Amino acid sequence: MSTPAIFAAVTGFDPLTGGEFLVAQNIAFAIMAITMLVSAVRMVTTGNVVHAALYLVIVLAGAAGIFILLGAEFVGVTQVLVYIGAIVVLFLFGIMLTKGSFGADDGVGGERRGIAAMVGALVLAVMAAALLDTFRDAELSRAEPSLTADVADLIFSRYIVPFEAISVLLLAALIGAIVVARGD
Amino acid sequence: MIAALTTPYVAWWALVPLITFAVAGFLLLTVASLVRRLPAVLAPAWTAVAGLGVLLYLVPMWSRVGRDGADSFLAGTVGVDRSSIFVTGILAVAVIAAALISRDYLPREDLPGVELYVLLLMSAAGGVVMASANDLIVLFLGLEILSIAVYVLAALHLRRIESQEAALKYFLLGAFSSAFLLYGIALVYGATGSTNMVRISAFLAQNVLVDDAMLLAGLGLLLVGLGFKVAVVPFHAWTPDVYQGAPTPVVAWMAAGVKAAGFAALMRVFVLTLGTYVSDWRPAFQVIAAATVLAGAVVAVVQTDVKRMLAYSSIVHAGFILVGLQAATDRGNSSVLAYLAVYAFLTVGSFAVVTVVSGTGDASHGLDAYRGMGRRHPALAGVFTVLLLGQAGIPFTGGFVVKLGVLAAAVDGGAYWLAGVAMLAAAVAAFVYLRLLVAMYLEEVPSGTETSGAVPLGALVVAVASAVIVLVVGLVPGPLLDLARDAVPVLVAG
Amino acid sequence: MVDLIWLVPALPLGGFIVLIFCGRRIGEPFAGWLATGVMAGSFIATVAVFLDMAGRSAHDRRAVVTLFEWIPAGDLSVDVGFLVDPLSLTMCLFITGVGALIHLYSVGYMHGDAGFPRFFAYLNLFTFAMLMLVLGDNLLLTFLGWEGVGACSYMLISFWFTEPANATAGKKAFVTNRIGDWGFMVAMFATFFTFGSLNYVDVLDASEAGTVAQTTATLIAVMLLVGAVGKSAQFPLYLWLPDAMAGPTPVSALIHAATMVTSGVYLLTRVNPVIADAAGWVPDLIAWLGVGTALFAATIAMAQTDIKKVLAYSTISQLGYMFLAVGSGAYVAAVFHMVTHAFFKALLFLGSGSVIHGMDGDQDMRHYGGLRRFMPVTAGTFVVGWLAIAGVPPFSGFWSKDEILAFAWNKSPALWFVGLLTAVLTAFYMTRLMAMTFSGESRYADERPGEEDGGAAALRADHTPHESPRTMTAPLVVLAGLAMVAGFVQLPFSSSTKWLEHWLEPSLYSNEVHLGIGGGTQFLLAAIAVVGGVVGIGVAVAVYVKARVDRGLFEQAIFADAWRIDRSVARFMGGPGRQGFDATNRFDERVVDGAVFGVADVVRRLAGLGRLFHSGMVRTYASGIGVGAVALITWFLVRSTL
Repeated sequence: MSTPAIFAAVTGFDPLTGGEFLVAQNIAFAIMAITMLVSAVRMVTTGNVVHAALYLVIVLAGAAGIFILLGAEFVGVTQVLVYIGAIVVLFLFGIMLTKGSFGADDGVGGERRGIAAMVGALVLAVMAAALLDTFRDAELSRAEPSLTADVADLIFSRYIVPFEAISVLLLAALIGAIVVARGD
Repeated sequence: MIAALTTPYVAWWALVPLITFAVAGFLLLTVASLVRRLPAVLAPAWTAVAGLGVLLYLVPMWSRVGRDGADSFLAGTVGVDRSSIFVTGILAVAVIAAALISRDYLPREDLPGVELYVLLLMSAAGGVVMASANDLIVLFLGLEILSIAVYVLAALHLRRIESQEAALKYFLLGAFSSAFLLYGIALVYGATGSTNMVRISAFLAQNVLVDDAMLLAGLGLLLVGLGFKVAVVPFHAWTPDVYQGAPTPVVAWMAAGVKAAGFAALMRVFVLTLGTYVSDWRPAFQVIAAATVLAGAVVAVVQTDVKRMLAYSSIVHAGFILVGLQAATDRGNSSVLAYLAVYAFLTVGSFAVVTVVSGTGDASHGLDAYRGMGRRHPALAGVFTVLLLGQAGIPFTGGFVVKLGVLAAAVDGGAYWLAGVAMLAAAVAAFVYLRLLVAMYLEEVPSGTETSGAVPLGALVVAVASAVIVLVVGLVPGPLLDLARDAVPVLVAG
Repeated sequence: MVDLIWLVPALPLGGFIVLIFCGRRIGEPFAGWLATGVMAGSFIATVAVFLDMAGRSAHDRRAVVTLFEWIPAGDLSVDVGFLVDPLSLTMCLFITGVGALIHLYSVGYMHGDAGFPRFFAYLNLFTFAMLMLVLGDNLLLTFLGWEGVGACSYMLISFWFTEPANATAGKKAFVTNRIGDWGFMVAMFATFFTFGSLNYVDVLDASEAGTVAQTTATLIAVMLLVGAVGKSAQFPLYLWLPDAMAGPTPVSALIHAATMVTSGVYLLTRVNPVIADAAGWVPDLIAWLGVGTALFAATIAMAQTDIKKVLAYSTISQLGYMFLAVGSGAYVAAVFHMVTHAFFKALLFLGSGSVIHGMDGDQDMRHYGGLRRFMPVTAGTFVVGWLAIAGVPPFSGFWSKDEILAFAWNKSPALWFVGLLTAVLTAFYMTRLMAMTFSGESRYADERPGEEDGGAAALRADHTPHESPRTMTAPLVVLAGLAMVAGFVQLPFSSSTKWLEHWLEPSLYSNEVHLGIGGGTQFLLAAIAVVGGVVGIGVAVAVYVKARVDRGLFEQAIFADAWRIDRSVARFMGGPGRQGFDATNRFDERVVDGAVFGVADVVRRLAGLGRLFHSGMVRTYASGIGVGAVALITWFLVRSTL
């Protein structure tokens, strides 16, 4: 990264647009990013399954926040609704129904932690290298915030097939869940 | 003011196979939930008829595409060309075979019997989507439909703990690899500004990326995700466990159908869409192919469980197909398609035999169950012999013809070392099939094994038909090779 | 007439199809007569084609009869067709002729066996495959026959598969042959990518025209040599042949003496232009490999006590002579010896089968002795075979061996000397066999070491050895006649008496070496060889008939143990070799796979689904995927403009 880019990242001063300050956005991003990072790490290191699920909530909420920062309000809200509102709650129900206790589970983690950490670190390193190399100090386009109506239009025209495919996917998953859960 | 929604053009005629599979599944599910006692034969017959219908419909479709050329529709997200028709045909064959094998399997195992067929049809629909996707997102969704159905299918044997274990392993690892795939799609999108394969390939043809690290990283991740589905080293580890645990008819579908769809996707993504970067991905493909054939062949030698043997042998086959794919030429593509077709017959036939031999409980997969089979079931043993020889690639079987095809494609592209390694691996892998033949013909029936009764009709039909086709292709390979040569995959803008 | 060639393989194939489907209904003995009948028909068809061909001029004696197009795809076009030329016809003549005799013999030998029709079905299938091997007009068809004879040999060795030793022998034969097959496959691919064709006519003509690079020709020749070494049981891939003796004796005679094992020699003879184009060390290698194997196997044959093992090592040794001939550029001599060997070795094997039959299945020569009194026909015909292989003029073996030795001298006197030594040993061990079996006192009723009381011996005394039935002795007599006179097809006296050489000329292009030694030298060499043979016979008589010398001097333990090679290999495969495979497996299972303990143990460890998460296996798989992903991305980043 070049010096101006670091400068811009730290101060929010954007040399390309002639001195416009985006301090608030940058501070908000930094807070969210750090929170997500810490939560993500805690999520995989904590011994308590319920805590892990709650850390996941924080990570997902942070992602929703970043979507909003980028002007993708619809996606941000959907993220909150679907992931936090539905999926994590399902997780918690699942844990509640299957586990005897909410306490710490000593069995989690263990012998292959080192390998997992190493693989994770390597993935991070190579991905970071790829992304940094591509974007360097390029600036993201500050397009208009996307309208929900546009998203809807796209879903029902260009992305009609994915939309339909997802419904089949969900149906398959539904049948699968019933088959597996029903038992004998 | 919202502008009127412009609905995209739909070539309904090209969607018939997909719709047939999906609707057949929905209908079967609905009927089964409304009618309390269905005749046991209905569901398999229904599934087989759906498969057969698709297969028949493909004939006019094939000639239509030949006449009018490949097409693309639904805003360029779905395409139809002869390669997608070819792969759809393989999928239909695999569906019919799996349904016929299951017909006697489910009653024998005392398992409830409609879900398997519903999921099978849905999985096939997903496979068709993968084979005809012109958009990475559509491809991903097709793959997920295919996979989720298969995860559940693997768990279908409710009373075998191995079945549940296999399903869970497959599911966890599948989800893990899907994440890689999705990340790969995101990176390719980031680098090229589109998820549409036509646009990506046009973009890459017109622009030279100054910083292509992100695109190349995306390529790597796409390869991880798709490599998992087709089970190449080092993403193969799940295969033996899952094949061993999953109900045998399901394994037939996994080996024949999932692999065909996976390779079709690999071909569309790498050869067609990212063909401009072939010099970057080819060495990776070559190393993976070499590692796959070698690891699969060597490890297969020491297996004692027949399903595990066949699992490793399927890994070897995947490596061989990759040998043809890495050539990234028309010749390579047609060799891959021909291989997939013959492999589908080889594998559904083999697993039909395995289903019969495994006996009630789907548990006898040791070599013991095969000892003396030449005497107890001469017909079944004879059919299995043909299929095993085909897998080994003995001349005058279809296996030989297609192995020769991929090797010729590799050599054509100058990959001599790879062809040499593949031949070496084929020689090693032949030991595995030999081991089975030895058990069938030369070893005594272990005392205490009851002589099993009649061979169920469905499985017998599949096994015999596969063996006959493998032999016919071996003797008269011309028609199949011509079909595969004409089934050139192309990308057409919508 | 040439167009009739399709009948030659079609008749045995038809016999096989009929027998495999209706064999049980046809039953004994008609199944055997049917099989023999189709072989005789095949032989007659061959003779008809041969007569047609023999009347033509040299450049006209090659015809390709295409049946149908097999693989028409792209630039790879392979037909199913037959190359009818002197070489393939010569092979066909003795395959069908000797084959028919052996079929006839089997009718008597296999009498009463439960698998009688099945046995003949396999024999017919084998003959079909062997005929495809020699008649195929391209390498692929030859390879098909090559695999087919291997598979049939495997089935026939293991015919009595109730005996575990037989099943193991069958496995060993198949496994060793895989190595050879690999060589053949590589050669085939190399040929295709060099010449763009697999047809012999195209490949050989192009090679003869000198359009092929020396390195390529060397690769193809060496790989074909690997294949030939495996099929023709040369060092170090000979291990399977002695074990293959576990099969019924007619099988040993047909497959392991007369036909299949010679297909390596056939192949090398067929591709003579390629060998001519290859580097100079290739013929040297073939010659030394052959003569080395010949001597090596002869030493082992000296100390065997199993009559069939002696003949098996003798076969390896004789095949070594044929390789020596090929390596010396004496292709005619190689084919010549192949023909005479087919006669006299089939005779010897069938004779030994007759002896075994008369001794109720006993193969140990120490139990024989004095059998000439009980089996006069067998003994009489065996004498002919013995004199032929020992190189006594005017029996056929003398002429062919003499020709090979002459060419060996021409190439290098050292080769000649080793060949001569082998000839002496051959005379010795064959005389030993004769002496132990047919002369001296009858030992069948003697008490044997390890037996508790005289009960077993007394029981045997009631079972006098007996002569075999007519169906078995008739082929012996015919083969004995052939073994006597077959040498006259190639007499070294003048150019006009070398009929075989003139006949084979079109198949050999101009690659037959010309003997650079005069008639006098040649006569001297032949005289030395005869004296050597007589010395070998004399010593053996002194040891085994007159008992003037201790036999332990010749029957060294290391010979009896086949130089301990078999055992070392077995130990290696049981130990380090097996461990190598296991280590790869363990690596895959631990590091990549994780499931070390097999199904039962996994099930035990996974008593419940919940515990799955504790087994660590999925995690291991996932890290495998992760490591793979990192490696891939790293590779791609290296390729990028990072």
